[in-house]
Amino acid sequence: MKITYNWLKEFLDGSDNYSPQDIAYKLTMSGTEVKKLEYVGEKYKDIVIAQIISFVKHPNADKLSICKVNTGKEILNIVCGAKNFKVNDIVALALEGAKIGDFIIKKSKIRGEFSEGMMCSEKELGLSPESDGILILEGDYILGESFAGQTGLDDWVFEIEVTPNRPDCLSVVGIAREISAVTELNLRYPEYENYNNAAADDKFKIEIKDFKLCPRYSAKIFSNISKSKTPFWIRNRLAICDIRSIDLVVDLTNYVMLEVGQPLHAFDVDLLATNKIIIRPALANESILAIDGTTRMLDENTIVIADEKGPVAIAGIMGGKNTEINDNTKNVFLESANFNGPSIMKTSKKIGLRSEASNRFEKKIDPHLTITAIKRFEELLKHITGQKFDNGIYDNYLEVNRERLINLRYNKIKQTLGIDIKDKVVSQILEKLGIKNKINEDYISALVPSFRFEDLEREIDLIEEIARIYGFENIAACELESKFRQGKYTYNQKTIEDIRLALVNSGFNEVINYSFIGLKEFKFFRLDEENEFKNYIKIFNPLNEDFEILRTLLLQSLIDDMKNNIVKKINDLKIFEISKIFLKNDLDKNGLPIEITKLAVLISGRSNLKSWNSNERFFDFYDLKGILEYLFEKFKSKNGLFISNNEYKFFHPAISGNINFDDEAIGIIGKIHPRLTNILDIKQDVFYFELNLDRFIKKSKKEKKFNSIPQFPSISIDLAIVIDDDTTSKDIEDEIYRNGGKTLRNLRLFDFYKGKQIEEGKKSLAYSLEFGADDRTLKDVEVEIISKRIIENLSKKFGAKLRQ
Amino acid sequence: MEEKINSLKNELDEVFLSFIKDKNEVKSLFDLDLLESKYLGKKSFIAQTLKNINDFPQQIKPLVGKTVNETRKKIEDDIKLLRDDFTKVEYDKKLREEKFDLTLPGRTLTYGSKNIISQVIEEIQEIFIGLGYEIAEGPEVETDYYNFEALNHPPDHPARSLHDTFFISENILLRTHTSPVQIRYMEKHKLPVYIIAPGKVYRKDYDVTHTPMFTQIEGLAVDKNINFGNLKWTLETLAHSVFGKDRKVRFRPHYFPFTEPSAEVDVSCNICGGDGCRVCSGTGWLEILGAGMVDPNLYKFVNYDPETVNGFAFGMGVERIAMLKYGIDDLRLFFENDIRFLKQF
Repeated sequence: MKITYNWLKEFLDGSDNYSPQDIAYKLTMSGTEVKKLEYVGEKYKDIVIAQIISFVKHPNADKLSICKVNTGKEILNIVCGAKNFKVNDIVALALEGAKIGDFIIKKSKIRGEFSEGMMCSEKELGLSPESDGILILEGDYILGESFAGQTGLDDWVFEIEVTPNRPDCLSVVGIAREISAVTELNLRYPEYENYNNAAADDKFKIEIKDFKLCPRYSAKIFSNISKSKTPFWIRNRLAICDIRSIDLVVDLTNYVMLEVGQPLHAFDVDLLATNKIIIRPALANESILAIDGTTRMLDENTIVIADEKGPVAIAGIMGGKNTEINDNTKNVFLESANFNGPSIMKTSKKIGLRSEASNRFEKKIDPHLTITAIKRFEELLKHITGQKFDNGIYDNYLEVNRERLINLRYNKIKQTLGIDIKDKVVSQILEKLGIKNKINEDYISALVPSFRFEDLEREIDLIEEIARIYGFENIAACELESKFRQGKYTYNQKTIEDIRLALVNSGFNEVINYSFIGLKEFKFFRLDEENEFKNYIKIFNPLNEDFEILRTLLLQSLIDDMKNNIVKKINDLKIFEISKIFLKNDLDKNGLPIEITKLAVLISGRSNLKSWNSNERFFDFYDLKGILEYLFEKFKSKNGLFISNNEYKFFHPAISGNINFDDEAIGIIGKIHPRLTNILDIKQDVFYFELNLDRFIKKSKKEKKFNSIPQFPSISIDLAIVIDDDTTSKDIEDEIYRNGGKTLRNLRLFDFYKGKQIEEGKKSLAYSLEFGADDRTLKDVEVEIISKRIIENLSKKFGAKLRQ
Repeated sequence: MEEKINSLKNELDEVFLSFIKDKNEVKSLFDLDLLESKYLGKKSFIAQTLKNINDFPQQIKPLVGKTVNETRKKIEDDIKLLRDDFTKVEYDKKLREEKFDLTLPGRTLTYGSKNIISQVIEEIQEIFIGLGYEIAEGPEVETDYYNFEALNHPPDHPARSLHDTFFISENILLRTHTSPVQIRYMEKHKLPVYIIAPGKVYRKDYDVTHTPMFTQIEGLAVDKNINFGNLKWTLETLAHSVFGKDRKVRFRPHYFPFTEPSAEVDVSCNICGGDGCRVCSGTGWLEILGAGMVDPNLYKFVNYDPETVNGFAFGMGVERIAMLKYGIDDLRLFFENDIRFLKQF
């Protein structure tokens, strides 16, 4: 919300002078944050009031005139392109050095004629989006004085953030009240003493169908309004506050709304079908052509203002086109009403229309404002037109008690804030906020006024008021002792942190992606055909189609990251992500999905660049598997890990499997299907695994225990065998371990061969076996017996032959 | 027998003294060879004594061996050192001829990087673990009850419009803040409660200064005798620890539905030093988090006694903290995962 310094000063009395900066600071530190403070007059430096005394046509240009302009001190020669002026017109003259937009005025020759400045249009002055010719000022102005000073633009604008609990602050008066609470200034509330309070005649009928939807509806008819323009200073104030000038009546409704906080709406009385206004829920299938030219469909949740023919306005949001104020309007029906906040909020959300008015109604404004606003409107209109409007005000109001008594205990203040304040100090703060109160021994009884009825309900609400006006900076920081507590990570958190660190230390970069992907992408990876991943959660109101569903697999995001990097010519990637995936779960009592923390690891490109001492090498599947083994070894033991074949649609059919931990499948591993990389325009192999970290951590949890270090040396032997290609390395290793017994300390595959030197359909594996015992040095003959047994069994079960 | 040993010791001392004297006279490697042969050679006293060790009585033989060997070791070491003195210049000269380029690059070990978001979370967690807090977690897909209702946002509450929410169904949504963890944790635990809850949150907002997903860290301390002064101390400690002791910290009153009083916390701008600049929009201050005393209403949802229990809560955006701390000027960088960005942290 924007309001100006001079406007605020109209409602504040006091001898002390507070600069705009002082005010901004005091407001900010008492909870009404001033986001920005700007001097409006800055833009109008070196622009003065001047009068045209004569002009002639430019000798060299048909469309230009040469004017003599009086600045009060001198007569200047000005070349001008506009046509809308005559002799004696008062204008805004930009002198040398003035800045119009990005353009600095200089004395110059235009088509051979000397020009010493520029007469400005409203558009050039930033006062209106469009303008026709230069600005001609009407009224009394002093020649030579600064333009800003003479037109209400020598002012400061505050950009204020009003929190949603303070609808009373959505106005100049409201902010002035806040200022009065934190300064020595007093609020000067307008009284309109000369107002004729007579009731209106019954020519017009107002009917409220449901006081819940509309607690109060006040209105007044202003007849035969004489045609007048909105005074320039009012238009300027509105412009500073980002409100466009329309015509006098509409401008005044906006002006009063900003000043008092009560939205107003003006209808052309003569365009209303009947002399009856009904405030009611819309009927199903009813519609209205709104002021913005769009036809809006209504439903029974929308409150409308209707005459007996149909809706003439969507209550609190927008008026109807057919009863809009126009050039021919003479008689105005001014509505000043109070509508149900939640209902306005729903409607405004539903039709996607938020306005200054709806914003105020949503937050529940004080129904007492309706009459004040009408009086203020009338005062301004009277002042501008010189007319009198003596008929009374229509007022439909089901009055409810809007005062509340709250007891505020001093010990509760101390308990919450840690400060010991009571009696007068507390009483004065409340007084300044407009809350009447009475001091008692242990507490103060406070009477909350109507304008704070919505947000001051409980003792704690008053404590907050005390705190913010007393000043947070006056409450001392106080150490919170922690000697009896011990902070810590859970085992899960610690392990995830360790896994992250292990990967980072081995050269991986951690990525974080959005939790959502597009359904198109989902189908593209054929996840809808995979039982494990197909049960996705759909977002009911997604941002766009790229963010439609929650991830059931992290793969797509990492592929995206990879593509983004490849575009930037970064082709060699080692990345990982630790994030949750979401699966539909109808069984959970809240209907919440299953959330599983996953670790996704992707490698692609080169593992080694060609260097003076090493060769280029590309990542392969076994690099990826190595990472997995590294993690298993760090957190449990490599022996628990087993990869089994299992085809996933997004993996290469032969290089696709499950990661098993003991006997449980807890992840997937493979090479991205060449069909996918082709379509995605990725020209390199991509390897990927994804691990269920929740399960991995649960299964790997173990007590750390000391094992004594072997005292006796090992004996190593090598064993090279030839077997059928179909037999897996895992089969062979399992068999070796089975026969090796306790003495087999370690097993390492040091050679793998397939090719011409052996029979087709066979492969050769060469292992290094390390034997040892805990209680003695093994004898060679013992090892020979064991290795013989191993060879016999390998031969028997797998047809293995020793390779010579 | 003791006499025999003593006499042997005397003889050895004399040998060693003589050795030292002779050693000082050595001028060349040739002299050194002579010296070695004189004191350690076959005919030397030491060699002869060891050779004839059987002449000593059986009981003292080990002691004789030990005594002689001690002297022999001393002489040997001195000779080694002296020999090195004579040869090292020549040796170095030879080695120096093997030219070696120390400036060639080493074998590459590539370093990885922990995501900056993870790093900031970790930094803040460590601070609070030091203050005796535990780390709590909660689901990212939440019920309306935990995300709004139990946090004092009844269905028609205007503050709901501050959160543009992604819905799954009428009552299920992507959490818009980490605050639901407060309720979930208090439901399951008795006093005292001191927790930090980091995590992803979601709001339907996507422009230069908003991403539809971002990261928050929530803090909650509920106990007996906790007041606003304690909140100030805790967050000042945090701000000083994250941004530096020289930064000023201020608390501004604000509004959140689930705290009362509520505050926003600013640190002084490090770019302009508080004078006002573009980064701090001329205010001299940078907002870092929101906080407040837990609204007593919340205690009713978790069966705590609002009359005797007090607490505070706070929440901050991790990306924002990171931007301010490291001078990152574009929010979108966090989720683009450009390796050149990731590697900087």
